[in-house]
Amino acid sequence: MAWQIEYYKHRDGSAPAVEFLDECPTKIDAQFNAVLDAVAAAPPPQFSGGGKWEAMHGSMGGYYEIRLTGPGREQFRLFCLLENAAPAELRRRGLKAPSIVVINGMRKPHRTTFTDRDYRKHVRALGEDHLANIPRRLAQ
Amino acid sequence: MSQASFHERRSAERMRDPKFRAEYERARSEIEQIDSVVRSLDQLRESTGMSKTDLARRIGRNPSSIRRLFTAASNPELRLVVQIANDLDADIIVVPRRKKRDRLKEPKRASATAA
Repeated sequence: MAWQIEYYKHRDGSAPAVEFLDECPTKIDAQFNAVLDAVAAAPPPQFSGGGKWEAMHGSMGGYYEIRLTGPGREQFRLFCLLENAAPAELRRRGLKAPSIVVINGMRKPHRTTFTDRDYRKHVRALGEDHLANIPRRLAQ
Repeated sequence: MSQASFHERRSAERMRDPKFRAEYERARSEIEQIDSVVRSLDQLRESTGMSKTDLARRIGRNPSSIRRLFTAASNPELRLVVQIANDLDADIIVVPRRKKRDRLKEPKRASATAA
């Protein structure tokens, strides 16, 4: 069964990942879409995403990221959560099927790193908000 | 009738941009080829009844690196892919596409005709 692709929606109505994708170069936006669609079709945990889809570790354990390189070797990252459960539980969460939920994206120059503060503020805080919502708040 | 999701609607809209569509199709093709190689190796491993731990031991790798490879938890390292193929008595083969080769030859034929 193919997984759904959903986008987290903030309480202010914005969808941070969608805003991030909209600001990416066209080719990067297309590549993110291609990886998401390939992973959703596989579906997880089967190998997919051409090596661009990776599980994160440490303080980001439980998240998955799509890693892309853009013009000038700029680094683009898209952060996702996987949601899978029994059908009744998925319905309670407001999900039609197991889902890849895209939380947010970040970009950085080549050979620089995101700090834990970046991850906490721009990914984990949003991910925690997402998981706290029943039903989930998603871009429509 | 199921309603299209936000992602499906956004993708459909973005696909109207030829640059987006071309890059999407190129990326999907690349991803599918890489995924196909890794999945084929995993299927071959399963068909031999070999566990991931057994395979790791045979090629002198940490079992976690094999688990990560087959569950998309890490970027596949070509050297590891080749090691696994060797151990499973398989080859990684690059097959040129006939259409692409023909297309590459076309300009030469065209210029020869024009001359």
